[in-house]
Amino acid sequence: MKKIDQKEKAVVIIGSGAGGGTMAYELTKAGIPCVCLEAGPFHKKEDYVNDEWGAFLQMAWLDTRTTSGNWRVAKDFSGLPTWLCKAVGGTTTHWAGATPRFMDYEFKTKSTYGKVKGASLLDWPVSLKDMEPYYTRAEDAIGSTHRGGRPALPANNNYKVFAEGAKRVGYKYYATGPYGTNAAPYDGRPGSIQDGFNFQGDKNGSKWSTAKREIPRALQTNLLDLRTDSHVTRITHDKNGMVDGVIYRDVDGNEQRQEAKVVILSGNSIESPRLLLMSDSSMFPDGLANSSGEVGRNYMRHLTGSMYARFEKPVNFYRGETMAGFCADEVKHNPKRGFVGGYYMETLALGPAFLGSFLEPGGWGREFTNMMDGYENIAGMWIVGEDMPQSKNRITLNTDVKDQYGNPVPNVHFDEHPNDIAMRTYAYEKAEDLYNSVGAVQTWRTPPYPSTHNLGTNRMSAKPKDGVVNKWGRTHDIKNLYIADGSVMTTGAAANPTLTITALSIRFSENVISEIKKGNI
Amino acid sequence: MNISRRNFIFGSIASSVFISLWDIDPSKAEIKIGDNPEDKKLLMKMCRDVYPHDRFPEGPYEKTAADVISKGNKGSENKAMLSEGIESLKKVKYGKMNFKKSTKYLKKIESSKFFQHVRSTTVVTLYNDPEVWGLLGYEGASFDKGGYINRGFNDLDWLPEPRIEEHPDLAAFLKADPNRLAAIEEMIKTN
Ligand SMILES: Cc1cc2nc3c(=O)[nH]c(=O)nc-3n(C[C@H](O)[C@H](O)[C@H](O)COP(=O)(O)OP(=O)(O)OC[C@H]3O[C@@H](n4cnc5c(N)ncnc54)[C@H](O)[C@@H]3O)c2cc1C
Repeated sequence: MKKIDQKEKAVVIIGSGAGGGTMAYELTKAGIPCVCLEAGPFHKKEDYVNDEWGAFLQMAWLDTRTTSGNWRVAKDFSGLPTWLCKAVGGTTTHWAGATPRFMDYEFKTKSTYGKVKGASLLDWPVSLKDMEPYYTRAEDAIGSTHRGGRPALPANNNYKVFAEGAKRVGYKYYATGPYGTNAAPYDGRPGSIQDGFNFQGDKNGSKWSTAKREIPRALQTNLLDLRTDSHVTRITHDKNGMVDGVIYRDVDGNEQRQEAKVVILSGNSIESPRLLLMSDSSMFPDGLANSSGEVGRNYMRHLTGSMYARFEKPVNFYRGETMAGFCADEVKHNPKRGFVGGYYMETLALGPAFLGSFLEPGGWGREFTNMMDGYENIAGMWIVGEDMPQSKNRITLNTDVKDQYGNPVPNVHFDEHPNDIAMRTYAYEKAEDLYNSVGAVQTWRTPPYPSTHNLGTNRMSAKPKDGVVNKWGRTHDIKNLYIADGSVMTTGAAANPTLTITALSIRFSENVISEIKKGNI
Repeated sequence: MNISRRNFIFGSIASSVFISLWDIDPSKAEIKIGDNPEDKKLLMKMCRDVYPHDRFPEGPYEKTAADVISKGNKGSENKAMLSEGIESLKKVKYGKMNFKKSTKYLKKIESSKFFQHVRSTTVVTLYNDPEVWGLLGYEGASFDKGGYINRGFNDLDWLPEPRIEEHPDLAAFLKADPNRLAAIEEMIKTN
């Protein structure tokens, strides 16, 4: 592996997930050497385990965090607001693989939805047209099914119930994808063996993640210095206000410094704003890149909710791909339903261990166990819709609580917007109709899990006063500091975010490459 | 990692998840409170009343009660909570209550630390037990067996085979101006 001297002014990428892993690959492919600092270890597919809690403890980000706000997660999982990973590949190690694109108007919700009280909606500085070529490249990288001539995954049992229910209630737009797990061998990865453990890393290697594709390929260029177990605690700057290095803890907890000429921050929507806020100085008392005051604000997590339904006959929904089932009929904005924006329905299966803990946090008694007892006969779906950005929903530093290095932990504050609640209630009713149409004997409205989609805390904006980065992911304030991860999303749309994060990262990389090659940074 | 940090990760409601899973070795803990057949039986009944599965044998509930006891012996605060809890069960003759009566009683003490300890330990330990997985019909780890591709991932036969491809109109639907779409839908409805 390439070794870059710590004193050399390097291109430094913080994090190796959807955003950072993609960036590392694109830059090294273009001949630019990089240091990638990743807080977690490098688990290979042979290390993954077919066990829900086992895999969770292997890779989830478990550093201390605190929560506040009226969301139920703050009560049920107060120290675990998110399900994110600390590992090479970031959360793409545990992701499922749903890869819808945004729709055109989802890049301009402020103009489309009009004024929504309490929401800080903003139009993106990029359009679907700008994004289309990058979407195609991201789909080809991920290997999305139903796209680029790639075949669809077959129907598993959970999908059979979902699709028939969808058909019976009059929905049309259901299919087994687009999904980032191969149906047939593609790009060096085998076709799915339907092992049912996508959320646990996918031992078969059929699922895309940056730990399987981008990072190994970047290493092959021999231009990537990947430092695992390296947790960045501060980004430093020179007297001109340009970033010039990062401070991190190595695997032994010792403090190290890497000199930098460019820093690309890809730590996800909780850690990226946290790091900017922790890097405050006398020149930047509110943290780096925060002249707008928007760092950490407008935190979004998608609407989410799940519907589980029990039938008289067996389903065995845990067999096969976890989320290979889609229905788009409710995704279009239609305010007549009583809310703005829309949502997707996607199949979802959990094992008894996770279903027990998440079906109804705090729940107990006969009604609960009736559901669990019918485990073999359960089908399930996830509801994922656009939530409203709100300025007060934000990541802040909680100086009362310290992490393992003595740094303030991030506090995640989230209050649900009335639009979120209205959409979720509507979606639950529709999901019940769907499952009742195929004979459900019991249905369950499961509340949101700790957030798997974390968005918007360093949002892109045309004007510096409205956000943190411009349309190239470059911070408005500091020209050699870029951000490439879920935090740059201006608004959330209904679509699962990772395809968009990956496409944005590919797009941003072009600007980084040309600016470096021109000698501007 | 110490208990207080683990406790912190999940809120009070689900606090035992991490405690359960990260327990280093419960057998090494010095067990005193509740570690006798009478108390254990009482706790087993409580675990079953909180998460009743009539078809489950005693085994899984016994393991769960053992976990409730071992975790309830960690630290003096827990010990006091467990011992008070067991005493109060004895006082109301919980062991003799039928399911209906016990449920009513448990509902009454639902917000107590003792109830939360038993409930949150049980929900994790019980449903993370491979014996329970078998009883529920969950086959679990599959990679070593070649996944489920040849072992029933699509064997559901009480519904018709669905379409797996996207509907031909999907692209147009996603592209359509939402306001126009809503107007058309409204037109169809009112006609
Ligand atoms: C169970 C599950 C299922 C999901 N399913 C889907 C799906 O079907 N479709 C979809 O689109 N999305 C899905 N997601 C979401 C998806 O995984 C995320 O949107 C995506 O990975 C976010 O990319 P990111 O680059 O913002 O952050 P991440 O992928 O989380 O990467 C951030 C990386 O930065 C590292 N890091 C953070 N701070 C530091 C630091 N200070 N120093 C060094 N390194 C640091 C982290 O360890 C991590 O590796 C799912 C997520 C989960 C948990």
